[in-house]
Amino acid sequence: KEKCYKLSLDLKQSTNGHVEALEILLLGLCGVPKENLRVHELCLKSGPNLGSEASEIRILCDLMQPEPAWTVRHVGGADQISVLVRTMVESKASKHVLRLFYLLGYKLDHELLRVGFAFHFQRGAQITVTVSSYSRLLKLHATDDDNVPVTPGIQMVEVTAPASAENYTEVAAAVSSFCEYLAPLLHLSKPGVSTGVVPTAAAAAASLMSFSGSTNIRHSEV
Amino acid sequence: MPIKWVLHWQPNAGHTVNSQILAEVSQCVESINGVKEGKWKATLSFYRPLLKDQSNAAEFPRDFLGISLPEQPNKYYFVLRGHRLVVEADSTIQTIMEKLQSYKTRVALNFEGFQYQLGDFQLRVGKVVSIQSESLRGIVMEMEYKPSSSWEKSHKIMGEFFDIWQEALSKRQLPGHFVHMEPNFGEYGLSGQYTLQHTAVQYATLMLQMIATAQSVRN
Repeated sequence: KEKCYKLSLDLKQSTNGHVEALEILLLGLCGVPKENLRVHELCLKSGPNLGSEASEIRILCDLMQPEPAWTVRHVGGADQISVLVRTMVESKASKHVLRLFYLLGYKLDHELLRVGFAFHFQRGAQITVTVSSYSRLLKLHATDDDNVPVTPGIQMVEVTAPASAENYTEVAAAVSSFCEYLAPLLHLSKPGVSTGVVPTAAAAAASLMSFSGSTNIRHSEV
Repeated sequence: MPIKWVLHWQPNAGHTVNSQILAEVSQCVESINGVKEGKWKATLSFYRPLLKDQSNAAEFPRDFLGISLPEQPNKYYFVLRGHRLVVEADSTIQTIMEKLQSYKTRVALNFEGFQYQLGDFQLRVGKVVSIQSESLRGIVMEMEYKPSSSWEKSHKIMGEFFDIWQEALSKRQLPGHFVHMEPNFGEYGLSGQYTLQHTAVQYATLMLQMIATAQSVRN
């Protein structure tokens, strides 16, 4: 049975002012119109007794669909190919999946609302680029309230592509090479850096990776 | 999705299941003009929590099952019978469970055999075999009525067909009979329109019965 993984590259793009520039760049690169994104992310952690090590799982609810559409997402640690690449496994699931994980012993660690847009296109791999801002929900499941932005003024840019064991290396290469097109904009939007200074893409990405994903935005209680 | 009843073999007190009974059941299907079509297979796995401290084991579900069905090889079904919970997911959920390392699959069972066409009905006869030991643990049958996907509306015709089948089989005087257990699908949040989630719930329900039977035989 073929396993399906997604390679995920998190880049940080700072200041909302540059989102439009990024959107124009992506429209040119991808050649497809954007799709709007509004996702409720419930981040669960295993209870203290479960498993020899703690584990985390994300339950995503796509709020753009007429009926809530659920996905289970597991994000792995840094990959052996590149510290910038992580493996992600996803599964669509029916509506009782959140209750299932609660009954299995997982607890809600924090909730995020992710709002932005996405481009899906083919370039050496089936690539998805999302540009979104995350905000932390202050009240349980309150996705409509005004919430606290996790990184005020900063958007997260994620690049993902599905891969199997057979084509993993090729897909990782396609994702990495696409990301190089975004490097100019990352530089452009890095806060506090004048346009005259050009950090290398790797250095910029490495410094950004330390802030990627939800690792640094954990809260223990909702 | 067409209605399906999942039946399991209930041996008479003091008897167990064996391959001779399986052969007789298959022959009986053919004797009522069932046309053999091909093979089928479903799998069922028991998931057990990995715990640091066994004394808290009661906090965690003891009836967590994972089921794969031949109609949708890209899907996987989880059932927590005690909580009347069923979830349909992509089969990648199995990879996710492996990566989480919080639950491990222990016993896994295969339900496999041949399927037969009989007018508007499709019958499947299957042996229940443990993946580890290959020993025969039971016999199941699936009775599918293709024209209808409504559980209520098809109930009468399914009951009549089931009676015909039981009567044909009784002539062979086997030490047992097939049982149909009807779960309360509403408790699982399922509607009267039949889906593979309904099938997963039927398998989970009959599993409980088979375990209870096996335990009473041991006692």
